[in-house]
Formats: sequence, C-alpha cells, structure tokens
Amino acid sequence: MANRFQRPIDRRTLLAFGGAGLALASTASLAACANRGGGGTGTVKMLYFGEQSAATAVQEAVQPRLAQLDGTASLRVTAVNGTDWNDFLAKVLTQVASGDVPDIITVATEGQQLLTSKGLLTPLDDLVTANLSDLHAYFSGVHPALVESAMYEGHLYALPDSFNAGSMFYSTDLFAEAGLSRPAADWSMDDFHASAQSLARLGGGTYAFDWVVRLWGSWTSFLAANGGNLLEEGRYAGGDWLWKGAAFSDNPVGVAGRTGGWKWGDPTANSAAAVEALQYVIDLQESGASPSPDVGGGNTLQGLFASGRIGMTIGGGFWAGGLHNAGMADGSFDVVQFPAWRTSTSLFGASGYGIFDSSPHKDLAFEVVKLMVQPEAFDALWPGNITTPAQRSLMTAERYSTTGPEHWSVFYDQLDGAVPISAPPYYNALATALNQRTTQAVSSGNAKDALDGLQADIEAAAAQAS
Amino acid sequence: MSHATRVGVRPRPPQIEGPRPAAKRARRRESTFGYLMISLAVLFVTVFTVVPILASLGLSFTSWDVISSPSWVGLDNYRRLVTDGQVLASFGVTVGLALAIVVLQISLGLLLAVLANARRRNATRVFFRTSFYLPLLASTAAVSIFMGYIFDTKFGLVNYYLNELGLPGAHWLDDPFWAKVTIVMVVVWQQVGFTFVLFVAALMAVPVDVQEAASIDGAGPWRTLFQIKVPLISPTILFATVIAMINAMQLFDQPFIMTKGGPGTATTTATISLYQAGFQNLQFGFASAIAILLLIIIGIITGIQFLAARKLVFYA
Repeated sequence: MANRFQRPIDRRTLLAFGGAGLALASTASLAACANRGGGGTGTVKMLYFGEQSAATAVQEAVQPRLAQLDGTASLRVTAVNGTDWNDFLAKVLTQVASGDVPDIITVATEGQQLLTSKGLLTPLDDLVTANLSDLHAYFSGVHPALVESAMYEGHLYALPDSFNAGSMFYSTDLFAEAGLSRPAADWSMDDFHASAQSLARLGGGTYAFDWVVRLWGSWTSFLAANGGNLLEEGRYAGGDWLWKGAAFSDNPVGVAGRTGGWKWGDPTANSAAAVEALQYVIDLQESGASPSPDVGGGNTLQGLFASGRIGMTIGGGFWAGGLHNAGMADGSFDVVQFPAWRTSTSLFGASGYGIFDSSPHKDLAFEVVKLMVQPEAFDALWPGNITTPAQRSLMTAERYSTTGPEHWSVFYDQLDGAVPISAPPYYNALATALNQRTTQAVSSGNAKDALDGLQADIEAAAAQAS
Repeated sequence: MSHATRVGVRPRPPQIEGPRPAAKRARRRESTFGYLMISLAVLFVTVFTVVPILASLGLSFTSWDVISSPSWVGLDNYRRLVTDGQVLASFGVTVGLALAIVVLQISLGLLLAVLANARRRNATRVFFRTSFYLPLLASTAAVSIFMGYIFDTKFGLVNYYLNELGLPGAHWLDDPFWAKVTIVMVVVWQQVGFTFVLFVAALMAVPVDVQEAASIDGAGPWRTLFQIKVPLISPTILFATVIAMINAMQLFDQPFIMTKGGPGTATTTATISLYQAGFQNLQFGFASAIAILLLIIIGIITGIQFLAARKLVFYA
C-alpha cells in the first residue's frame, strides 16, 4: 500500500499555502471592516432583547413596510439573549465598546438613564413632533406614566411598547385548599399577612409566598407600598412640549402633573420604611411561610409556582405567558393588585425603542420605531403574553383567553399610582449592591445592618458615577 | 608515513571542515521551517494573551466606562483597590476557596487513581476512568444550574434525602459557610477527573520492577505508595497542582451561577468582583486593575509552587 504521507511538504508549497491563508484572512478582515461600517447605506440595525426567532419574525414583518417607505432601506434585527435587563444591557454596552453601534435598541427602564446620561440615545422630541399625526393612535392608547418613565431631563428618549407592573399572583388551587377567596382589589398588608398565614398552615411542601432578589418585583414592591424607595424621588422640569401638546390632547387627566422624567436623588435605602419592608419578608421566611428567595431571573420561582408549591408571589403581565408555558392551566392562577400598606404605590418597569445618537439613519430609524409601536408589531415581538402591552387597546379578553389569568385587567390597572423602579444612571452598581445586601439580610436575618451597608454602597456608587 | 613528516616538518593541525554549502542551506531551510511552524502558535499567544495583558495593564491606569474615551488616572485604580474592602475580601475568598479546591482535587484525584489502578480487570479501570472524567466534559454552566437545584435549601434533592434519613438539611446556598462548602464540593466533583486521569497515567508509568523490588524488600502497599510511587509521580503532582491552582484562582462560573457571589459577598471571588466592576458597573479601568492584581497573585503562588518543587519533586 502506498504511503500517502510519504511526500514531505516542501518550503515552496508551505509558503504558497501560507500566502493563500493570509490572503483569505485579509479578505475576511476587509469584509468585516465593511460590515462594521453599517452594513451598507439604508440598513437599519436593531438590537432586540429576546430570542432570535422573534427578532427574525419582526424583521420579516416590518421589512416590507419599511421598503414601501424607502425602496433601498432594509432592517436587520439582532437578538441579544440575557437572564434579565442587566444582562442584556451589559452585552449591549460590550458591543458598543467594540465599535458595533446599532441604530435602534430595545431599552428598558433599567438602562434608559444610563444610556441617556452617557449621550448614547438621541432625544426623540423633534421626530415625535414632526410625526404626531402618524403617532396619534399610539399616544391615545399608551399610559402617560409609561411615556414619562421614558423621559430624562425633559426630553423623550424612547417610545414604550410594553411594561410590567408588580401585582400579586396567587394559586387558585392553594387558595381554595386554604379556604381563601379571591382578595379584594383594595386589600391591605394585614389581609395579605392573614392569607399568608392560612396558606402556611397547609404544609405538605407548599409555601405561602416566594420572591426574587432583584430591583423589580422584589421586597422593593413592599418598600414602595410602605411609602419608601431606595432613592429620593424627584422629577425633572420640562416635558410640556409633549404633555401640553397635541399628543395627549384627549387625555388631560392622565397627563396632569407629568413632568420631564424621574430624577433619582440621594439614597434612602436604610430608611425606616425600607428596614420594615425587608424585615417583613425575612420574618415570613423565618416563620416558614416563605422559602429562601430566588436569586437571578426568577426561573426557579416560576417552576415552583407552576408546580403548585407557592401560594402567592409578585409578578407582572409577563407571568401570564410564563406560567402558561410552564404548564399551568388557565384558571389555576389569578392576579390581584399589590396590597396596600401605608400607601397603594406599586412598581413598574417599561420597555420601548430608542435611537442611538450615532445612527446615520435617524429618520429612517424613527420610521422603524413607529412601525414597532404599531399594534400589529406587538404580537410578532412578544408572542404569547410574555409581557404587557403599553397600549390599553391591546389589553383584551381575547388576548388572555388562552393563557389566563381571569382578572387580566389588573395588569393595566396596576399602573395607576405606580412609580418606575429607581434606575439612575448608575443603575448597574445599584442593582449589584442591592442583590448582595439583600442576600446578606436574608442570610443573617438582620435587615437593618444589611440596609446600612446598602446605603453606603449606593452612596459610593453615586459618588463614582458623578 | 609521508615524506614531509619523516624529515621533521611540523605537521599542519587538522583543519575542522565547516559544513558544505549544501548542508548549510539544508540547515537554514530546516530552521526556517521550524520558525514557520511555531509562528502560528507565537502569533496566537501574542494576539490572545500578550496583547490583552498589556492592554489590560494600560487600561488599569485609566478610567473607562466603555462608552466615553478612556482618561488617564495614573495609580488611582490601584489606590482604590487597596482600600476597597469588598474587593480585597473577594481576593481572600478566592484564595480560601482555591486552597480548599486544590487540596481536595489533588488528594481525591490521587486516591481515586490509586484505587482505579489497583483494579485487575482492564474493563473496570476503563469504567472508573470514564466515570470520573465524564463530569469534566459537561458544561460548567449547565452543571452549576443543575447543582443549584440539587442544593436548594427547601426544594433540593440533597436536603430531601437528608430529611428522609432523619437528618437535618443544611442551608447549602443561603448560609455564608455552607455556600462556600457547596461551591468547593461542586468544583471538586467536576474537576477531579482532570487530576485523576493525570495520576492514573503517571501511576501506570511507574516501573514494575521498582515496585517489585520494594515488595521484595518488605514494603507494604501504603509504604510503596508514599515512598515509591508518589515520589516517582511527583512531577505530575506538581503539574496538576499548578494547573489546578491557576484554574481555582480564576473561579467564576459556579459561584456566579449558583449563588451570584452571595449570600452577601460570601462567595464573591476576585473574578466576580472583576466582572461586576467591568461589565456591571462599567468601570473597566478598575476591573483591569483587579485583573492585574489577580495575575500578580497567581504568578506569585505559581512561583512559590515551583520553589517548593525544588525540594519536593523528584526527577528520576
């Protein structure tokens, strides 16, 4: 048998192969450089937080409509996966650092002030004003609180298409087993506590309440209801160009008192309200009514709730789809407003579309944004009730007929009197400190010491940011 | 004998003949080929190791939030580093966890290798080798998520079976002490296959005649292990210890996924601090300073290991 490897590679052949390899590599590099420039004139690049399948669906849905406006324009939607908005934001910023800056980004409350304060997002004021006739239906249907949360220093930086407000989900099966009926819409913390105690008596590996360690929908919901916040609440002046203009002309009540956005001041993380709220959930755990809180995206909690082991937990509209996908039948869970404590304030986070200041196609990008906030785009982007639509007209019984819950209208009603989560420009540092100090409090059982530490951490983060 | 020698003419010293031109060309060709062969590796190491380290060193003297341009701050990041209690504590956590992991990984790997080698049947040895090596092939992220469920205080399998046996469960991931223990157990469970395979190969290479000689001299199994086998495989033990220590000092996945560095900062390692500073708090200059300090510490520890090896490692 002939030795196929007998002939050695001579230098000439090797150099020839090496040269060919270098040439190929150079060609690839040049191609990459060309792509970095923007993918060609007229290509609008968008980063989307979610699955690529949804991103592709959106791209395919919006592309033909974009082509009608500009025959040479094309849309490229790229999905970025992440466990939560923190994770998404970190990946986006890393991509921005590499020089690959998109035109449009899905931006949530968590990261909006961060991106805006760094000058990454462009104000949409002029674009909105120039396109008011196209956006009339949008502004008629969207809750003003969501739009206000997308403002910063008097300017609008995103058009929200979805949100989630922290309501109280409950297992109808466990409630029935404990002899409890559906809580009233205006139930109080005393009512909540009584329900928790009834559920805790069920035993059998079930728990009355569970929660997730994070900024949205955590013990912070109790803090908001108790009249506190992690940071001093303030408002930026301005915004009259929007509130007093034609956009909300048919909703004067809804825009009354709206300003130029939320201004987060000094930390108040160790206030009496905060200590009381955190100690309350710790005490629930120590009494056996609640397991250790979930750390992370909340997947464990979702699994536990779906398997009928948790009586109550904080959730938003995204949980309707989440629980349905986890196998929960419609009717086996329902939702009610978050209980009132000293106040009936609750928390929400919104998500929308902003345009990068460096985008060379701002007008075209805004055309895409306008298409993205159209009702038809919502289901392509967010199929199966995995979030709550920002426009009330999309909140229909038909939408929730396959997933539940029965009282789906709570999701939108919860917005009345709700405040956005406190996400200042140094949000990431705040979220890291909050997670660390919350787990410290849960582990030690001492809310006060942990929150004193959180106060110091946030003060340091604010000082670093400034 | 030649005439010239015979009449007393001093003979010329024998000339050392240099390589002939053809041989010279062949040698040059060979060395060029050699350089060409290693050039890709050198390029790879330069681009993916040397340049990032130098870039990180440069960044550590700047303040950079990714979005704006870096600004020179001199030694500010290092000054902050030595006064930042949380970050310094994360280095303490890292060293503590690394020591526990390395000691367990080496001793358990050696013990398992000895036991597996003692099996007479080759099939049994192969079975053990495969079994202990398998966890190493699994994705660390997947293992960490899975272990998070298994060690869950209220719903985990571990506490369930402990309770079934009438034993109290532990707060595996919620208590600062137990969270560290759990992380160490999970890392050692997954990584022990690496040291195990190295030790199995090294033990198989120990000459049989040396073992037989020890046996004839009356050495029992333990004495043979500690006085014959271990010294003979000590270069492998050194290699395994150095690699295990370097890996353990960069511990990230397991604590990040299982405990997010908590409870509090109990399992926040240096690399988690680095990640938080860079990718969460957007302080890449400070994160680079942490990376440089970690590099220096790993270098020092590795240096100490090699110094100790001069006395402890036996090169036959």
